[in-house]
Amino acid sequence: MTTLINQNPVIYEASAQNSTREWREDDDNEDSTDPIDAQEIFDLIRSISDPEHPLSLEQLNVTQRDHITVSDENNSVLVEFTPTIPHCSMATLIGLCIRVRLLRCLPSRFKVDISVRKGTHQSEHAVNKQLNDKERVAAALENSHLLEVVNQCLATATSGGVVANIKAPVAVK
Amino acid sequence: MPRLEQLAELQGHEDRVWCAAWHPTKPILATCSGDKTVRIWQATNAQDPTQWQCTGILEGAHKRTIRSVAWSPDGRQLATGSFDATTGIWEKDEDGNGDYECVATLEGHENETKSIAWSKSGALLATCSRDKSVWIWEVEEDNDFECLSVLQEHTQDVKMVAWHPTEELLASASYDDTIKIWRDDDDDWYCSDSLQGHDSTVWAIDFDPSGERIVSASADQTLKIWQRYKPGNPQGIVTPRRGEAVWKCVATVVGHHDRCIYSVSWSHAHGLVASAGADNTIRVFDIQDYDKEILTEEQIKATNEPGTLYQGVVLAATKNAHGTSDINSVAWYPSEEHGDWLASGGDDGFVRIWRIIRD
Repeated sequence: MTTLINQNPVIYEASAQNSTREWREDDDNEDSTDPIDAQEIFDLIRSISDPEHPLSLEQLNVTQRDHITVSDENNSVLVEFTPTIPHCSMATLIGLCIRVRLLRCLPSRFKVDISVRKGTHQSEHAVNKQLNDKERVAAALENSHLLEVVNQCLATATSGGVVANIKAPVAVK
Repeated sequence: MPRLEQLAELQGHEDRVWCAAWHPTKPILATCSGDKTVRIWQATNAQDPTQWQCTGILEGAHKRTIRSVAWSPDGRQLATGSFDATTGIWEKDEDGNGDYECVATLEGHENETKSIAWSKSGALLATCSRDKSVWIWEVEEDNDFECLSVLQEHTQDVKMVAWHPTEELLASASYDDTIKIWRDDDDDWYCSDSLQGHDSTVWAIDFDPSGERIVSASADQTLKIWQRYKPGNPQGIVTPRRGEAVWKCVATVVGHHDRCIYSVSWSHAHGLVASAGADNTIRVFDIQDYDKEILTEEQIKATNEPGTLYQGVVLAATKNAHGTSDINSVAWYPSEEHGDWLASGGDDGFVRIWRIIRD
């Protein structure tokens, strides 16, 4: 059996609701465009599967709503994520999954920056640089094997909230 | 008030446009894209620069994104650098149907080819890749290309290569935050200098018309100007390696772009510098002398640095030049004939032709 990078991750409780936002009068109006906020970004990425464990990024505390900064009027999004262990070699893959999810779901006007939370990874500069190099990302996504792994992690992303019984994706060789 | 006026918007590419390259002598533009093709655009009316037509599509040879395209100095061939790790050489089939066909494929890089460039004489071709290497090829007869040298001094991806306007001297820009200068000693190529100063990936470089200065664009959101100091230079800059010139940073243009700068072009017609990147803005700078900080001989001797010699004065800033999309490439028309034209390509898949108006 392949050895997992992190054999014993700490599992956090995911919040049971899809969203903590209260219903607003405007919600049923299809024509109104709500500004995109941190909660919406969080809802998009919270259920992405971790590459190694049958758990979501939220359950592993890799993503947290408070680590997302959005400015709808400036078209900018900053997502910081916390790898489960400081030498996690899955960090780049997790960051890539977040980037692809947002690429597919957000309006193209948004500039998205993704980085590991300061002090949570021993190669944080190198990981951040890779995740934010547009050319490297574009080339990586033309790699069909890597794309397949990313898509498997994203298969659960629409579950919006607690995800039970996620089938563990194939670990990257 | 100087400004960029849009002449034309060229649609056709089905994915982001990575690079735009002007033909050396005619009003013809080649652009390459994530859609794995190159499109050739021509001005159709000599009196009306707003009329353009797509007159050719180069496709079929590359299996992945075409990242860069460059015309040979005589305008008869095109080179394409692709993420499929190869470089294609294309020629117009004049005897046949007038379509471009791929007449040679250069292999060797281990992964994505990022940039290719022809030397001024057309005798050499340089290619570079994410595999950290720069390759120098000799152009032989019958579309044969011989690899002269594989240069492995960069410690990370090499993003771009650019030749000196007249000499056989090459510059390369890298993810390792440096620019390296390459020269040869009888076909033996070596690294002549390594330019450090940028705080992040250097995405693009261009020589000024004289070849004595280089402008570089970086993910650190600045442009830098580097000047060459040859051995025995009157300024007293020490050149430690025998016979080798050194390049010193003589200006940093900061505080304008607020995201990564992907492309920079130094006009050979009027000397203005155009830059563009992820902040959706094309800027045009005039590089002017900066005389507020003239260093004394002692100061230069103490630091071996010439100080700040130039400043970049913004002449025009066109926001949202490609809407909310990144701009990946800007290129000035290479000669005085249409020297005020600027081409740009962006993530929106569009190509735009602009004219700088200076009144």
